[in-house]
Amino acid sequence: METIERSALSRKDAPPRRELAIEIGQIPLHLKFADSAHLEKASARYRVFSGSREKGLPIWVDSRQNPQSKDSTFSYTLNSATVDLRKDGAQFSGVPHEYSLDSLIRILLSKMLLTRSGFLLHAATVMRDGQAHIFTGQSGAGKSTVASLSPIGSVLTDEISLLRNLDNSWQAFGTPFWGEFHAGDLNERAPIAGIYSLIQAKEDRVERLSTRDALRAILPNILFFSSKQEDNAQLLTILTQALQAIPVYQLYFQRHAEFWEVLK
Amino acid sequence: MSFDAARTVKSEALLPNPLLAWREIDGAIVIISPEDSVVHELNPTASFIWKQLNSNHSTGEIAQQLADEFEVSRETALADTKELLESLAGMRLLCAADRRKGSVHV
Repeated sequence: METIERSALSRKDAPPRRELAIEIGQIPLHLKFADSAHLEKASARYRVFSGSREKGLPIWVDSRQNPQSKDSTFSYTLNSATVDLRKDGAQFSGVPHEYSLDSLIRILLSKMLLTRSGFLLHAATVMRDGQAHIFTGQSGAGKSTVASLSPIGSVLTDEISLLRNLDNSWQAFGTPFWGEFHAGDLNERAPIAGIYSLIQAKEDRVERLSTRDALRAILPNILFFSSKQEDNAQLLTILTQALQAIPVYQLYFQRHAEFWEVLK
Repeated sequence: MSFDAARTVKSEALLPNPLLAWREIDGAIVIISPEDSVVHELNPTASFIWKQLNSNHSTGEIAQQLADEFEVSRETALADTKELLESLAGMRLLCAADRRKGSVHV
């Protein structure tokens, strides 16, 4: 009895675990927060992207500034917040709020995807007949419009898509990264039917693009933050492989759902 | 040394900038400059010359191959080659051979 009471006391005195395991695009991340407020907001935001603690890359999240590690393999600063990736994990420092945390996760994923045959693309992804249709374009191109014209439960993201080659099949994943900072709630994946570069027009039609034209169309919409030559070379390799495997189209579309007719 | 001779020596000392990532796609060279995220796409002539540069050919050899490939006179090919090399160097896509550390082809 005494042993049980002592054990209960020691649990009470121990600092609470401020940890959250998530998985985005089959990449497990193990977030460890210095601040409980961060944990609460992140738990709500990434609730459908829960993952395994054991498998995830440890990420220490702190609102305070920390010096860059000597073992850093990748570092990027956005406003005052910094991603510092090492072999044993990552450090997010100077993280003031959940918006900043979200941005740092995207930056980290863009780097981690390089060794996982994938990339992040400014694009809305909509599932239809079991396949993913990816609509890319810069702000104002119509990504949100396409998403809003699609049935509820079919949109994997309306803002940032994650594409990966798994077992020689290019797949699109649901992400928590939505426009207007909505939390994504569809953690699914589907084989990619096509990528569509959006142009608003007075008619609905598609034009198939060559690999080179496809690269020209999507490169401005890739999320990428490394300035290392070898990282950019790897990105170029992944993109070329993707665009040789996935059909890419220029989609001229009106702001109505009938544009799906020309995608059949 | 005449002005033309100096230009020839300078051109022959140029090689693709090792800080760039590049790849041949559908016959054209696409280059990413990681420093400023600028993407360059070379036309067929420039792509041809870029590939010859990576095979360590001299300006004269490149011009000869250009003349053979595009069926132009050697004089025209040499002038075009020099002009293109200077243009690519001006965009910092080429650098002096002694500053180059390794291959960048992906």
